[in-house]
Amino acid sequence: MVRGFRRGAGSVQGSWLVSGVVTGACLVVAMAVSGGRSRAYTAYSLAVHKTAAIPAFARKYGLACSACHTAWPELNAFGQRFRDNGYQLMNDRDSPIWQNPSYIPVTFRITPNWHRESATKQPVDATPGNPATTGPGTVTVSGFDLSGMDLWTAGTLYKNISFVLLPSSDNTGSFHFEAAFVRFDNLWNSHWVNFKFGKFELDNLVSEKRFLFLSGNGGAYQAYHFGPVTDTLGFTNFGLGDNQIGAELSGHSENSYTRYGIAVLSNTDGAVGLPASQSYDTYLTFSHAIDAGALGVERVGAYAYIGRRPTYFQTSGGAPIPGTGLGNKSFYQIGVAGDFFFGDFELLPLFLHANDNAYLATSTPGNVALPAGARDAKWNAAFLEAHYYVSPQLVFTGRYETVRMSQQADPALPSDLGNIDAYSGGVRLYPIMFSRAGLSWHTEVSAVRTRGSTFAPTDGVWTSSVFTGLDFDF
Amino acid sequence: MRRQYVWIVAAVGLVGSALGARGAPPAMAGAISGKVTYTGTPPKMKPIDMAKEPSCAKQHATPVTTENVVTGPGNALGYVVVYISAGDPGSSAPSEAVRYDQKGCQYIPHVAVMQVSQPLEIYNDDQTSHNIHPLAKVNPEWNKSQPIGAPPIHTTWEKPEFIPVKCNVHPWMHGWFLVLTTSHYAVTGEDGGFSLKGLPPGKYTLTAWQEQFGTQTQDVTISGTETKTVDFVFKARAY
Amino acid sequence: MRPKTSVGAWVSAVVVLVATAGARPCVGQESRIGNLIGHAPAGKKVYRRYCILCHGPDGDGTGENAMWIDPKPRDFTLAVFKCRSTPSGTLPTDEDLFEAMSRGFVTTNMPAWLPLSHQNRADAVAYIKTFSPKWSTLKPGTPIAIPPEPAATIESILRGRGLFQKMECWKCHGPAGHGDGQSAKTLTDNKENPIPPYNFSTGSRFKCGVTNRDLYRIFMTGLDGTPMPSFADDLKPGEAWDLVHFLRTLQPLETPEAAIWKAWLASHAKDLKPIGPAGSGQ
Repeated sequence: MVRGFRRGAGSVQGSWLVSGVVTGACLVVAMAVSGGRSRAYTAYSLAVHKTAAIPAFARKYGLACSACHTAWPELNAFGQRFRDNGYQLMNDRDSPIWQNPSYIPVTFRITPNWHRESATKQPVDATPGNPATTGPGTVTVSGFDLSGMDLWTAGTLYKNISFVLLPSSDNTGSFHFEAAFVRFDNLWNSHWVNFKFGKFELDNLVSEKRFLFLSGNGGAYQAYHFGPVTDTLGFTNFGLGDNQIGAELSGHSENSYTRYGIAVLSNTDGAVGLPASQSYDTYLTFSHAIDAGALGVERVGAYAYIGRRPTYFQTSGGAPIPGTGLGNKSFYQIGVAGDFFFGDFELLPLFLHANDNAYLATSTPGNVALPAGARDAKWNAAFLEAHYYVSPQLVFTGRYETVRMSQQADPALPSDLGNIDAYSGGVRLYPIMFSRAGLSWHTEVSAVRTRGSTFAPTDGVWTSSVFTGLDFDF
Repeated sequence: MRRQYVWIVAAVGLVGSALGARGAPPAMAGAISGKVTYTGTPPKMKPIDMAKEPSCAKQHATPVTTENVVTGPGNALGYVVVYISAGDPGSSAPSEAVRYDQKGCQYIPHVAVMQVSQPLEIYNDDQTSHNIHPLAKVNPEWNKSQPIGAPPIHTTWEKPEFIPVKCNVHPWMHGWFLVLTTSHYAVTGEDGGFSLKGLPPGKYTLTAWQEQFGTQTQDVTISGTETKTVDFVFKARAY
Repeated sequence: MRPKTSVGAWVSAVVVLVATAGARPCVGQESRIGNLIGHAPAGKKVYRRYCILCHGPDGDGTGENAMWIDPKPRDFTLAVFKCRSTPSGTLPTDEDLFEAMSRGFVTTNMPAWLPLSHQNRADAVAYIKTFSPKWSTLKPGTPIAIPPEPAATIESILRGRGLFQKMECWKCHGPAGHGDGQSAKTLTDNKENPIPPYNFSTGSRFKCGVTNRDLYRIFMTGLDGTPMPSFADDLKPGEAWDLVHFLRTLQPLETPEAAIWKAWLASHAKDLKPIGPAGSGQ
């Protein structure tokens, strides 16, 4: 797939633009071919808002949204530094004591929308009401809807002590805590030493929480959530895009061009309440940016997530005792990512290689023999996302993603079972851009083809979304 | 106070006539003279408390008052600058310097008038330091310190502008630099009188400026060697 | 053929000459920072993204957020700037503007725009210069000559202390540099907004830098637009460095000057005459 982008003709900028257009064209074709069906409508309603544009900061400092965001919620280099400094401008006026008492660092964000979800190769009764006629069919649903809501608070408790508290709800108003942490910034007066404790987003170079996609099939990175189909019980319960709970040591150079992070995390994929077993995950990231003159700032990074998951528990009277996991087996996800600017054109590539231990990949408890022939599950994922900023108030987006199993846990399965190709594209228009509130008219289409249906492992299941909504925060 | 006005008017008159001598020969030139008065109630000038600067306070037997509206007998208005604002071909800057003193923590004169590029000399005669901060917008704005015993500051202004001047150390000190293109100007004294001499025949616009009451203009035509009388009446506001 | 070619060569040479002569950069449309050249049209895009809500679409400091901010954003139409390497009343150099933008201003809402690429910042400088006609009619001042800093010694500090007294810095900055001088409360800037003098006892960064050299430049060029005047006519360079050394002792920072001062004070404190009005022990 990457080959498809090496058009080569003309300037680098020209070829990326062409591939951006091709991406957009591909997804239109994909929509036509698939008939635009989706099964992911349930997944969408759980796709609670990606957070992180906070007019409260704009209100506090009098800056435009565009000062920190390429197009909110995605951060630009200046916003990255502001965030790295613990939401401080470092001008001795950051602490709450310098603010008007009526200033409260709170932002609400929600997106009322209309969307259409469609999925092919679903088990549908040819004659409604007759279970004997079940066969592959396409299911399409559409209508007006609400997204989840974020009630985001973030800022400083004191000079160099910052915080985030993010209660987030799905579209029924059922809340959970998406993030909650305290961060001690610039310890020993050094921007290389910052300590964060609580529940937070992993320091991914390409952030899923602050990206520009909202639809059911486009509103998440496949690479950040994929698991092999053989892990039917979800033993490897993990996604790079999920907020995790733990502690992080991080640091950055003065202009945040060089950054690192080391995190120790619970093995619950961010879940609270101590169902964890006695092992911890580790996440390491490093990135470096260079000043490319008129082109902008070019950033490249590498990451590694090493985790362990229990495969069975101690029991009491036969019932598992939560938190007492045994039979820990490991998995890892490593890769590289980049954020490249060519003037108003931005490219975000990512590559990921993942490996799940055979026990995890086959959902086999550690005190039981592996199925014959079981192997580690390995896969590679990649995506290439492009943005074109016509102005700070208008951005076009497009993305192509792929996941390719390189080794199935069960050798009897087709090698491409579970493989994914995903196409997304959209536009965000911000009719107003002031410091007090934000509004974006967001329109997006996305389509995902997954290899393997309930009917045949060779089937390609298309799920697609069409979405248009008013994404606002204040 | 009175004595200083007389000194100013005399000095300006001298300079004015010297300038006029550069133009048409006096015998062939006309003049404009008149009086500036006000109607209504002008604001009361407040006494200035110089307790924070004892070296200045002791120079004044009775506290001096603010100078934004200076009045005299017969409703006369002082410190009104009357000048030719149109019809005058302009003249090159004289080489005599205009002198501006900081004395007793006051600017003397309160309003200094000079021509574009004319030298300006600023003296600190006090036993305290001052800073000179002309709040120019068209000309460059600068701010210089003048400690006790420092030599005079020499400067010129390259563009016409009415520049408020202040001292940041002594917040009651307010003055003006009026930078004009014309050599025909006068500053009224407490008697409100002014006299512009050495005007060749022509059509002129005469402008009177008072820092608080604004400007007024009148058109005057000089045909020969006559002296035209032009009076200005400002409407005084209490604030 | 030959003659035509040579005529053609002459013509094109002349055209090139004329074109490059005519292509002289329009002052105010370009900025030069080191080897970098900034262009105003590109700077306009940078300005719209980052600057406009405080500094305003016309660059006059009346952006929509300006009313909520103190100190007020800079009014570029006046071309009066605090942080310069050039004498009071003259335009700053392009580098001065570039550095001010990159450094930000402590205790204000002006951030350090360091994460922007150098080109972006250079372009922004070029665009800022289009807001005032002074950039086309006046040349930037000549940066003041700053001689190398002599060693900090107790004699230098004591001379500096004498200058602090003589130049009457204490009338605004206070005898101990706490920003509580007798005139401090009445200070206003060139827009009649109240403005406090620097309080050395906070130890915070200066408006225009952090080093001794920056401090030298502050009082030898003055902060235009503020009550802080230039002392260039009143202090010789050696005296200026003495004053710098003394001013460092007023800050709660661990500087060589503060260490020397503390050590000397331990045995000589009673020898000091207090700073302040004449007759207060002077």
